[in-house]
Amino acid sequence: MSSSRESFEGGVFHSSIPGGRSGARVSIARGELIADTIGEPNQRFSIPLTQCKLDLGGASGRMVFCRTDDGTLTIFCEDKNFAKELDFQSGGMLAQQLQSLKKGQRAESSRFGFWLAVSALACAILLFGGYYGVLAAAKVAMRAMPVSVDEKIGTMAFNSMEVGRKLEANHPASKLVQEIVDKLKPHAKIPDMKFKVSVVEGSEVNAFALPGGQIVVYTGLIKEAKSAEQIAGVLAHEMSHATLRHGIERVGQSLGVVAAIQLLVGDVGGLLALGAQVAQTSILTSYSRTAETEADLEGVRMLHAAKIDPQAMADFFEMLKQKMGDLPDAVAWISTHPQHETRVENIKNHQKTLPPAVYEPLQLDLKAAQDAL
Amino acid sequence: MQVDIRNRPSFANLHVQFEPGDKIIAEAGAMATMSANVEMKTRLNGGFFGALARRFLGNESIFINEFSAPSAGELVLTQPFPGDMVCTELRGNTLFLQPGAFIACDPGVRMSLGWAGVRSWIAGEGLFRLKLTGTGRLWFGAYGAIFDREISGEHIVDSGHLVAYEPSISINVGMAGGIFTSFFSGEGLITRVRGQGKIYMQSRSFDGLAAWTNAHLW
Repeated sequence: MSSSRESFEGGVFHSSIPGGRSGARVSIARGELIADTIGEPNQRFSIPLTQCKLDLGGASGRMVFCRTDDGTLTIFCEDKNFAKELDFQSGGMLAQQLQSLKKGQRAESSRFGFWLAVSALACAILLFGGYYGVLAAAKVAMRAMPVSVDEKIGTMAFNSMEVGRKLEANHPASKLVQEIVDKLKPHAKIPDMKFKVSVVEGSEVNAFALPGGQIVVYTGLIKEAKSAEQIAGVLAHEMSHATLRHGIERVGQSLGVVAAIQLLVGDVGGLLALGAQVAQTSILTSYSRTAETEADLEGVRMLHAAKIDPQAMADFFEMLKQKMGDLPDAVAWISTHPQHETRVENIKNHQKTLPPAVYEPLQLDLKAAQDAL
Repeated sequence: MQVDIRNRPSFANLHVQFEPGDKIIAEAGAMATMSANVEMKTRLNGGFFGALARRFLGNESIFINEFSAPSAGELVLTQPFPGDMVCTELRGNTLFLQPGAFIACDPGVRMSLGWAGVRSWIAGEGLFRLKLTGTGRLWFGAYGAIFDREISGEHIVDSGHLVAYEPSISINVGMAGGIFTSFFSGEGLITRVRGQGKIYMQSRSFDGLAAWTNAHLW
């Protein structure tokens, strides 16, 4: 056995050192592991290589510990050449000990990796499942609430919205819209829902419904309509959003998600309150694709029951499609509104499933209402 | 140079009494009061990038202050949160500190920032740690009281409570018990320290304070 060419930076634990530990220069000579402490007092400790009990670990996982049998003296070193030197100087005597330690460490490392991956996957599944679970639970919970809650929320939202100038109730356009609503009302899914319809000045071809039966129709839509039946189609669709309680469902889902996030990550404070404020009205007026389709089908049922030709609803979407074009497929999939083409097809298919009926044209003067705008 | 830790444990502060020629290195902003004759020199905490790294990754200041006194004088150093401070002496050995724990050291102690690893991060101890090595005294502080343990084998610490440890100690993350126990005992993840050496722990954790405060905000 030869003596080592170099010394390594390391340390030593022994009760005779003040504080019990010291940094040390570690070297191997004449079959002994030697540690010379740094600083005062200079002390020298040694362990015969034949008595070395090795261990591997430390914060880096690379630190080699060499202990005496009774464990009172420990010399350690992190230098990556130390293990090689130790192996070389001991004539291979410590090689087996080192090998099995490294093997154990690798096994632990891969176990850690495995559990890390499993935990990440479990978190993802919990979040995903939790999200949809909360949505479903919120839907059920909100459905169980009385319709009067819808009305309160709808009225509050309507009062806080800036929708534009409302036409007078005796305006021909207001009267036309009111008459259609009156005709459809008896066939609504919730018979005693109080529908309140307002015609609002605005160029957009749009209408929306708030929870509880507040409906807003823009003058742009009335101007574009080719027949009173088309307006009836849109109104039936919007009334269906109210009777199917889509708005309140969304409020519940949003609140449910917020509550669930709080449960999961603790309180997230003011940021959420801000988000809730911003989302308030958009949540109430924008519905999911499923909700839109449901409202289309329920609208068709109402029109059919009121003896108004549901074909007009399909015609209206057809017209919108020609006027504005369809959304590209990729965008439409993400967007909440279904493709016009799909809607038209759904409406026509649903109409076929209903019992045959004789439709009566609406005796309303659309032209006069349009001229008055 | 005589250094005492006063007002322990809640509002501990370092009371330094200089003799001519004495020097101490302190975290920027730690000085509360000093004699008029004490000189303060500010320098980057290591190289420029090293200082930036220590600021953003190690939660320490970009600058450190070197206080010296040509004649006798005194200096008081504090930390920004309530809690205890301890002194330990390095004899060529190394100590890892949690980000933000460092307060002061003798000029013979070198400071650097090291990667602590994913395990340390999951254990709530941060991705980085301060490495202090050399010869001399070192003072560091914590939130709450500080207690130490001489480890030989394995020991369990709740996440966020480990303040300092020696490089001969390895850190592992573990669950407090089975899945049910870990979730509902309120202990969640724990830190499993293993090896031979000393660890320092704090009796309070910032995460605990933050959670408690948040729960009372609404």
